[in-house]
Amino acid sequence: MDKKIDAKKRPVYINPYFGGLLLGLLILASFYIAGRGLSASGSAKLAVVEVVHLVAPEHAENNAYYSKFLPEDGSSPLFNWLIFGAIGTFFGGMLSGAVYGRLGKLRIEKSPKISNRTRLIAAGAGGILFGIGSQFGRGCSSGAALSGTSAFSFGGLIVMALMFGVGYLFAYFFRKLWI
Amino acid sequence: MKEELFISGRDIPNIDPYLNIWHWEIPVYLFLGGLAAGIMFFAGYFTIMRKEKEMQATVKYAPMLVPFALVLGLIALFLDLKHQLYFWRLYTTIRLESPMSWGAWTLMFVTPLSMAWAASYMKEVFPKWDWKFKFIDQIINFIIEYRKAMAWALMILAVILGVYTGILLSAFNARPLWNTSILGVLFLVSGMSTGLATIIWMSKSKYERKVLSRIDLIFIAVELFLIIHMLMGFLAASEVQIEAAQLFLGGEFTVVFWVFVIILGLIFPAILEILELRGFHIPIWIPSLLILIGGLVFRFVMVEAGQITRYLY
Repeated sequence: MDKKIDAKKRPVYINPYFGGLLLGLLILASFYIAGRGLSASGSAKLAVVEVVHLVAPEHAENNAYYSKFLPEDGSSPLFNWLIFGAIGTFFGGMLSGAVYGRLGKLRIEKSPKISNRTRLIAAGAGGILFGIGSQFGRGCSSGAALSGTSAFSFGGLIVMALMFGVGYLFAYFFRKLWI
Repeated sequence: MKEELFISGRDIPNIDPYLNIWHWEIPVYLFLGGLAAGIMFFAGYFTIMRKEKEMQATVKYAPMLVPFALVLGLIALFLDLKHQLYFWRLYTTIRLESPMSWGAWTLMFVTPLSMAWAASYMKEVFPKWDWKFKFIDQIINFIIEYRKAMAWALMILAVILGVYTGILLSAFNARPLWNTSILGVLFLVSGMSTGLATIIWMSKSKYERKVLSRIDLIFIAVELFLIIHMLMGFLAASEVQIEAAQLFLGGEFTVVFWVFVIILGLIFPAILEILELRGFHIPIWIPSLLILIGGLVFRFVMVEAGQITRYLY
């Protein structure tokens, strides 16, 4: 490993095709170890359920959507493999960033032409839409597209095709946020 | 078939069959006590080694936190007491066979000593500091003259304090998880490691961080070794000890213990520290914070789980 990797220089990433292969193997390992695939939006959803359950336990238990994710034995919805997967993703990403010199100061990555404010508002709005969409589609790009397609789920395939297809279409209108 | 009904009469609220008397106050105190011991030990050690110039954060800056950590810890201990107005009775007797007595007296000496140490460096840390009264200045000058003797006292008392945080639990022979002599050393090593993490976080000198990270790596390795041997010792002992170990090996504390203490609190920060020593850029607060959280969770888990384990059924 080159010790002189500098965080200020262009960050180093691995080959995307090789990254994809690793991701596929990761899903295989996840099915083997946890018996389930990966999910990113799921951990956010469980965190929401936990907060709602903390603030208004009765509402969460009577609500058709929230109650689905409350464990029957009364334990916390956060005591779930998805949450630990998310924690692992955070620290794993940090380790990768450290090894490849991407770990620098806390910063907002954006196009130089927009302000931090615009970037954060756009990211927040996009995140909200993505959260709503992932619940309609029963999974996000990890849960439906990666884990779903690896289990030959037709729904997962449709979600992936539409998610990325619509993404390509709409990218034109929002291109100024990036270029 | 003839059936017999047994009534044990063993139903003492909060004590039997499960101990339910120690809550957040005790692990918080054990954590702060260990942290203070760690900082004091290295402040004393590097003073005796005449490294005050190179190890500024260790000798000057981090010890400023010690009186606060000790006082907060003592407040937590005090809150835990049932008969709070009688705490002074600990100081009417000296019992060499009682860890509580050792702890009470050690704290009695170490708290003012840590304050004197911090006070003696106040003017160096805060150049505009003024003690207002001349006699305080005179006392401080007197203390500064005897710094080396104080360093020895700090180091020795820090070790006693660090060990005591573990012995406090291991002296409970009715709780199989606690009743192991490894606990004293384990808590000492863990306290040293959290102390080092704090100093590393505060240090601005590359040299100092390098020296301390190396020591910390050794402590993390020793801590892992002790934890493994503690579990192996339990598994090789009688049924109650095996059941105590099972709490961490498939039982209800498994996830918290392995994820937050072993992986995120010891192994992962060790990897980050090794990477930093090899020249990779790592924001220094990340491994330090992880070690501190790991140390706190470790004490919560040990206090909580220990109260569940028992001999009699």
